Amino acid sequence: MKKERHLQASLTALFSRHREIGLLLILIVLWGVVGLRNPLFLSGDKILFILKDTAPLFVLAAGMMCVLLVGSIDISITGIMALSAMIAAMVMRNSLVVTDTTVITDGVETVVRTKTGLPLMLIVLIAMGIGGLCGAANGAIIAYGKVLPVVTTLGMQYILYGFSHVVSSGQAVYKKDMTDAFVDFTRVDILGINAQTWIMLFCLLLMFLFATYFRAGRHMYAVGSNREAAEMRGINANRTILLAHIIMGVLAGLAGVLFGSHDTKITQDLKMGYEMYVIAACVIGGVSVTGGVGKITAVLLGALVIGVINNGLPMMRLTGDAEFWKKLIQGLLILIAVISNVVLRRMTVRRELKGRKI
Amino acid sequence: MKTLRRVFFRWEWLVIGLTVLVYLFFQAKLGDSYTVLKLLDQTRVYVVDIGFMAIGTMMVLILGDIDISVGSTAALSTTVMGVAYNAGEGVPFWAAIALALLTGILCGLVNGLLVVKFKELFPMIITLSTLTIYRGIAYIILKDGSAGGFPGWFSKTLGYGRVLGGVPVMLLCLLAVMPLFYVLLHHTVFGRRLFATGTNITTARYSGIRTDRIKVVVFTINGLLAAVGGVMLLSRTGSVKYNIANGYEMQAIAVAVLSGASTSGGKGSVVGVLLSLILLTCLKNGLMIAYNDSFILNLAIGVLLIGMVLFPNIYQALRQRRQVKQQQLLSLHS
Repeated sequence: MKKERHLQASLTALFSRHREIGLLLILIVLWGVVGLRNPLFLSGDKILFILKDTAPLFVLAAGMMCVLLVGSIDISITGIMALSAMIAAMVMRNSLVVTDTTVITDGVETVVRTKTGLPLMLIVLIAMGIGGLCGAANGAIIAYGKVLPVVTTLGMQYILYGFSHVVSSGQAVYKKDMTDAFVDFTRVDILGINAQTWIMLFCLLLMFLFATYFRAGRHMYAVGSNREAAEMRGINANRTILLAHIIMGVLAGLAGVLFGSHDTKITQDLKMGYEMYVIAACVIGGVSVTGGVGKITAVLLGALVIGVINNGLPMMRLTGDAEFWKKLIQGLLILIAVISNVVLRRMTVRRELKGRKI
Repeated sequence: MKTLRRVFFRWEWLVIGLTVLVYLFFQAKLGDSYTVLKLLDQTRVYVVDIGFMAIGTMMVLILGDIDISVGSTAALSTTVMGVAYNAGEGVPFWAAIALALLTGILCGLVNGLLVVKFKELFPMIITLSTLTIYRGIAYIILKDGSAGGFPGWFSKTLGYGRVLGGVPVMLLCLLAVMPLFYVLLHHTVFGRRLFATGTNITTARYSGIRTDRIKVVVFTINGLLAAVGGVMLLSRTGSVKYNIANGYEMQAIAVAVLSGASTSGGKGSVVGVLLSLILLTCLKNGLMIAYNDSFILNLAIGVLLIGMVLFPNIYQALRQRRQVKQQQLLSLHS
C-alpha cells in the first residue's frame, strides 16, 4: 500500500516535472490511431517526411516561444515571412543568370538550363536580416512605445502585407525566377535526412543552449515571470523584449525562405493565417501565454503534434463526405490537447496538495 | 485648466480630428466622387457588418479578454440560416434568421463557458480553436457548395435599400442598436460591473461581482452580435459559402482598438466605436477610389492602428519626463 502510494507520488512528480512525457503520450496515441487505419503512416519514410514537413513550423514556434516567454505575442509572423521572402526573392531575381547549355548524349540534343545568381547563403541571410528588422520594429514599439503586443503586431501584420505587395508590385515569384541552389536546398538529403530537418534540429540545439545556458536567454524567463522583480535585479526588461522579437523576426525570415523554396512560389500573402498553427504548437507544448513558462523540447513535441494532425488526416483514408471533417477535427484536436494539458496539471497539483496533508 | 484638459485631451477628439483631416484630404484630392452622401452609401460595404462585430469585440476587450472566433461564428450562423431556409423549401424566413441568431448565441456561450472553466488558458487560445471548429462545422454542412435563394426583399430592402434620400437601411439598423449598447455599457449596473471586472478582476470578485457570469454573458452577446453582423453581410452577398466573413475578427479588433478599447481591459466606449467606424469609412472609401488596392488599404489601417495607440503613449511619456525634470529643478532650487 505504502509502496503503491510512493510509486504514484513519484509518477506524478515525474509528470509535473517533465511535461514532455504527457505530450509524448498524446503524440504516440495520435500516431497509433492514424497508423491503425493506415499502416503506411508508421513507415520510416513517412516519419522522416513529417519531420521535414514540421520543420518550418518548428522554426517559427521556436521564435514564438521566445516572444511568449517575455509575455508578448506576435501575430504578424506571416507578414514578416511574406515581406522577407519577397525581398529576398526580388534580390535573387535581379541577380539571376540563366545559361542554356546543349548536351549531346547518344545523338540526342537536350538543353540543360542552369540558373545561377547570388549565393544561397546570402539570399537566406537577406531574408533573415529583413525579418530581424521587422521583429526589431515590433519589439521597439512594444517595449519602448508601450503599445500592447496584440495591437502592435495586428497593425504590423497589415503593414507588412502592404509592404510586400508594394515591393512585389502584386506579382508572385515562381520557380523560373529562382536560382537552382534556392530551389534545391530544401530538397537535398544530408545523411539520408532532409536539409529542412537538419535546420530544425540545429534550431532546436541553438535555442536549447540559448534558453538554458545564456544570460540573455535566462533573462527572458525572468522578465516573463515577473517584470518588476527582474528589473529590480538589474535586468533591462525592454531590451530583453526587443531581443525576443528580433529572434522571432530572424526565424520568421528563415521560415519564409524555407516555405518559398519548398513551394517554389513566393506570394505577397505567403501562408496567411499560419500564425494560428504556430501559437497552437507553442500552447500545446506548454508555453504559457502570460509569460515565463516554456521549454523548447516540449515546443518541438507540440509542433510535431500539429504536424501529425495535418499529415495524418489525409492518410486516414477518409472518403466522400468525411473529407470535409478535416477542419473540424483539427480544431477539436487542438482544443482537446490544450484542455487535457490543463486537466493533467490540475490533477498533479491536487495530488501534490493531498500529499502535503499527510 | 485640468477639467479643460480632461475634456479636450480625450481619445474621441483624436479620432474626430483625424476623421476631419482624412475627409478634407480626400475631398481635395478626389472632388465630386467623394461626398458625404456617397460615403453614407458606402457604409453598407465598409462598416455595418463589421460594426456589429466590433461592438461585441469591444465588450470582450473591456473584459480584458479577446475573441478571435467572431468571423467563424458569423460564418456558422449564416450557414445555418442558409441551409434552414433552403431557398424557400425549409423553414419560414423569420425562423431561419432566428436560428442564425440562436447559433450565434450558442457559439458565444460555448466560448464563454470554456473561458470561464479553463482560466489557465488565455482566451485567445480557446477562441483560436473554436475559430477552426466553428468554420469546420460550417464546412461540413456546406461542403464546397453554397446556400442562398433568400427572398428578394432581404437583399433589396436590407442589403441595398435606402431611405430618407440615401441612408442605407443597414446603417439605420446599426445606428438603432448602438444606443441600446450605449445605455447597457455606460448607464446600467451590468455595464459598471463589466468595466469593474475588466479593470481589476480580483477586486471585482471581492466586491461581490460574479465575474464568471459577466464573462459568459459578454461572450454570449458577442456571439449574438457576430451572428447579426453575419446576417447583414449575407443580405449584401446574397449567398453563403463556408469561407464567408474570413478574417473579419481582425478587422473587428482593429475597429475596437481604434475606438479606444485596450486589450488589457477596462477601457472602451460605444461612442468610440461609432467614431472609429466613421473614420474608417472616410479612409477606406477614399483609398479605394484613389488606389483601388486592398493591400494599400490594409497598410494604411495598420499604420493608423499602431500610430493611434503609439502617439498618446509617446505624448504621455514626454510629459512625464518633463514633469520629472521640473521636479528635479524645483528640488535643486529649494
